[in-house]
Amino acid sequence: MRANFPVRLGPAEDTLIAQLKAAGADQAAERITVAGLPTRRVESYHYTDLKTLLRTIPPLATAANEASAPALRIPGAYNLMIANGAIQNASTAPAGIIVGRTQGGVLTTRDDVLVHVNNALSGEALTLTLESSVDPVIQIERRIEGEAAHVADALKVFLADGATATIIETFSGSDAAHVGNHATYIALGKDAVLTHITLDLSARATSHFATNEYHLADGAKLRTLIIHLGSGLARTNVFPRMDGAGAHADVTGLNLVSDGQHADITMETLHAVPHTSSQPLFKSISRGRSKAVVQGKLVVARDAQKTDAKFMHQGLMLSDEAEILSKPELEIYADDVVCGHGSTCGKLDEDSLFYLLSRGIPKAEAETMLVRGFIAELLDPVEDAELNEALQGVVDGWLLGGM
Amino acid sequence: MADYDIPTLKEEIDRETVEQVLALDVDKYKYGFETDIESDVAAVGLSEDTIRFISAKKEEPEWMLEWRLEAFRRWLTMDEPNWAKVHYPKIDFQNISYYAAPKSFKGPKSLDEVDPELLRTYEKLGIPLKEQAILAGVEGAAESVGTPFGANVAVDAVFDSVSVVTTFRAELAKQGIIFCSISEAIREYPELVQKYLGSVVPVSDNYYATLNCAVFTDGSFVYIPKGVRCPMELSTYFRINEKKTGQFERTLIIADDDSYVSYLEGCTAPMRDEHQLHAAVVELVALDNAEIKYSTVQNWYPGDKNGKGGIYNFVTKRGDCRGVNSHISWTQVETGSAITWKYPSCILRGDGSRGEFYSIAISNGYQQVDSGTKMIHLGKNTSSRIISKGIAAGFSDNTYRGQVSAHAKAKNARNFTQCDSLLIGDKCGAHTVPYIESRNGTAVFEHEATTSKISDDQMFYCQQRGLSDEEAVALIVNGFVRDVLQHLPMEFMVETQKLISISLEGSVG
Amino acid sequence: MTTPVLEIRNLHARIEDREILKGVNLIIPPGEVHAIMGRNGSGKSTLSYVLAGKEDYEITEGEVLLNGENILELGPDERAAAGLFLAFQYPIEIPGVATMTFLKAALNAQRKARGEEELKTPDFMRLVKEAGSQLNIDSDMLKRPLNVGFSGGEKKRAEIMQMALLKPSLAVLDETDSGLDIDALQVVSKGVNALRDGQRSMLVITHYQRLLNHIVPDVVHVFSDGRIVESGDKDLALKLEAEGYANYGGEAA
Repeated sequence: MRANFPVRLGPAEDTLIAQLKAAGADQAAERITVAGLPTRRVESYHYTDLKTLLRTIPPLATAANEASAPALRIPGAYNLMIANGAIQNASTAPAGIIVGRTQGGVLTTRDDVLVHVNNALSGEALTLTLESSVDPVIQIERRIEGEAAHVADALKVFLADGATATIIETFSGSDAAHVGNHATYIALGKDAVLTHITLDLSARATSHFATNEYHLADGAKLRTLIIHLGSGLARTNVFPRMDGAGAHADVTGLNLVSDGQHADITMETLHAVPHTSSQPLFKSISRGRSKAVVQGKLVVARDAQKTDAKFMHQGLMLSDEAEILSKPELEIYADDVVCGHGSTCGKLDEDSLFYLLSRGIPKAEAETMLVRGFIAELLDPVEDAELNEALQGVVDGWLLGGM
Repeated sequence: MADYDIPTLKEEIDRETVEQVLALDVDKYKYGFETDIESDVAAVGLSEDTIRFISAKKEEPEWMLEWRLEAFRRWLTMDEPNWAKVHYPKIDFQNISYYAAPKSFKGPKSLDEVDPELLRTYEKLGIPLKEQAILAGVEGAAESVGTPFGANVAVDAVFDSVSVVTTFRAELAKQGIIFCSISEAIREYPELVQKYLGSVVPVSDNYYATLNCAVFTDGSFVYIPKGVRCPMELSTYFRINEKKTGQFERTLIIADDDSYVSYLEGCTAPMRDEHQLHAAVVELVALDNAEIKYSTVQNWYPGDKNGKGGIYNFVTKRGDCRGVNSHISWTQVETGSAITWKYPSCILRGDGSRGEFYSIAISNGYQQVDSGTKMIHLGKNTSSRIISKGIAAGFSDNTYRGQVSAHAKAKNARNFTQCDSLLIGDKCGAHTVPYIESRNGTAVFEHEATTSKISDDQMFYCQQRGLSDEEAVALIVNGFVRDVLQHLPMEFMVETQKLISISLEGSVG
Repeated sequence: MTTPVLEIRNLHARIEDREILKGVNLIIPPGEVHAIMGRNGSGKSTLSYVLAGKEDYEITEGEVLLNGENILELGPDERAAAGLFLAFQYPIEIPGVATMTFLKAALNAQRKARGEEELKTPDFMRLVKEAGSQLNIDSDMLKRPLNVGFSGGEKKRAEIMQMALLKPSLAVLDETDSGLDIDALQVVSKGVNALRDGQRSMLVITHYQRLLNHIVPDVVHVFSDGRIVESGDKDLALKLEAEGYANYGGEAA
């Protein structure tokens, strides 16, 4: 970024600066004053030019004391809700789950506008401490209610050594031009096992931003699944950090975009110590005139020997106007590693389609079947049956909603 | 317990490898000598006067001077790019001389008029300038001495800022092929030059390209007429000799309809403590059904083992597949330079056109390489293929940066990319940054990248069969780059294999 | 006269600029098994794809009648519903789609196209189990994604099982013996023979005579350079095995 060059600020930036100043976040305000919102010249926003895409920022949300029902209910899950940034009172937590609150700003500072803004504006963060004795399914619904609002909220989770949990976060709200900026910080203790799903079900008019940060201690196992399908503009940052030997992360995500939508998953995984592994797998399906972006950077620190990491992004284009943009990246400073990445994109495979047709399956059904098969690799590993079924339902709804 | 077991041995090998890297001796650069020749050198500094001086020296027409000045004015408003993964102190463009020519140089001439000192230099470099001898079939004249130039090659020899001689011109002219220095082309073929110069790399393309437009001194010009298959390899050999000078060469190759040409480029420079700047621009134009094959062996002085000295190689190379079913293929072997910043690219404009990029980039010592390609698919049914092999050793950083882009109208665009990196030692870095942009649903792109080191098992196996560490690594690395090697012309292939061994000398234990 | 199950009249087909089928004529009456033998590259596999309706080929001339109806205007799925089944030489792997899910979709789609009711799950399971048991296909294999990670033998057995389930009036077997060891060949042949019922016709495309020891044909055709050049009984296959294809011109294999 060239700090010496005066940047012309737009109304979105003006509002943002005012909101940050009002919150006392002078440094964050100053940064935006100097640099503006990131354009394509900022490497990590190369395909999601916020300066162009984000023309206005609505006023900061006022606390909502009541919220509508969640957009999705997972049977058997323990439910928590944050509405317009305010943590709602919850039913008594099951044993082994400690629910608390802390002051906002859960994300580790890094050079990213979403992180700066969230840390500055999220007031109270929801905290969860999960003890090793339980294996819960927890659903956290984050809603934005009422008129168009700018919301920053935050969640901080600690998994004790040996703890196991499944957490699904769903994002939804009223049909308005909200800007949601959501932060999730999760620390996994030794040998902890977590499945973490974030599902964007926001209204089309909404811009959905999320940052998921993970720290994995020795032997911890993480599976993430990010699903973008609701909002018109979605961007999720995923920052896993492999801090302990034997840690492993399956970082996965799915962009489902239809006409007019833009969805971006940007991952940066740091293999900080020797003997860690990760297997990022992302898929994008684009139909109509829409844009799906996946950026995925694997960083292997000097001395992080024996890192085993393979990134993959597969894009499927269902229309001529579909766009899939991909930037995998390897930044490797240790030699005794096995690292790689792959990125493919194309239409449905014609040979596969012919095979299904030759068995008498009509074209539309055959196509749906192939697309389901394409997605299965991401949904199948979600072990909880109720949750798996709920996700299947959401994805099917998208599929059948206009192939 | 056994006295020693295999893991211990492997660790030993690793340790030795590292030690060798630390003791790396890139001073073995064999082209590092200096030619003692009196030169006509422009005073250091850059202004409109410098450009007028260069233009006057070249006896250029007015339009060329204007073009240069316009570029210079543009350049003054531009900033150096900072996105590449390379680090270097700010270049003082006022502390470089932009023109140096041997005093004896009085314009293009026949071989027997060339200064014997210069001829000796090229002989030492192994560049065959003995055209008459070769044509007459004199034995021994065709022997090249340790450089990748064989006998049946026409050479344009560029020494600092001037082309000192171009061989085989008369032979080529019989078929209507124009092969001469760009300076001469500006004077002799102004229509061709005006039509194509800057048509692939626009004047304001990037900082270094714009600078090149303003101050370029010499380079080669090739025109292959319609339907002609160039009967021999054409080549340019660039040599920087003078201190404190920059070399800004400009190459323009036009392959008219249904023609074919294979072009080779090589370069070396003396060992000096200071960094020298080389900012070239190469433009290729392939018209309907034409094919251009462009091969480079880049062996500029890389600097010493502590990273002192070496060439900054900031190059813009681009080919325009302007005609239908045209075909441009870039093959590069990058072993030299302190910093390499170069992305030979293809604009696939003609329907059915094809672009290829094959690259071997080796970095050792404190070298920094940021190289790759761009395949810009604009026409229908265009295809591209990228094979890149990066090898990082010592303290070097080696980055592949590439872009594959299918625009909305590029129906059925196809790309296949394979980028492999090999790390030798644990003090270097290998990075891969592809931008893969499918902007229409009919494109099919496939990209794959891997990073690994030479496996201990492979090393041990080779050693057990009696190969020394260095031989084993050379063998394995040659296997690693084989997919690219086979795209080089015969003349380059054998020499490249040797060059790989030399470049990695000391990097292995 | 009974309507033939398959009748091909002067069929010409090309891929891009290359003509591959150059006037194929063939009649297969109900219940008969015909074999087509020919060297690699003679156009045998193209014939199977053209019959099944693969898009890559352009039909420039001729007709294909299945049970008396021209099928050339039909899509591949419509041809399947009309009773044509192609056992692929290289069955396609489809990740993420369980074999069972696929079988059910195929069977029900064909029933629906013919105006029959969809099968209830228990009935379907029973049918699959029946068809599978003869071909040593267990329920574990049916849960796996379609053909993904199947061995060569498993793939071919799965093809024949699909045929048993879908009950076509014409089965085209494209190089079904390729990649099979002798045990697998016997299992597959047994499966095929079990489906010979006096009504169902088959077109067995093969390079080697070996398969025809197990699936004994009524008629053998020699295919060369895009057309049938000789027809005879099963002894023709033996003759070919002994003498090779050299007598039939065309380019050497």
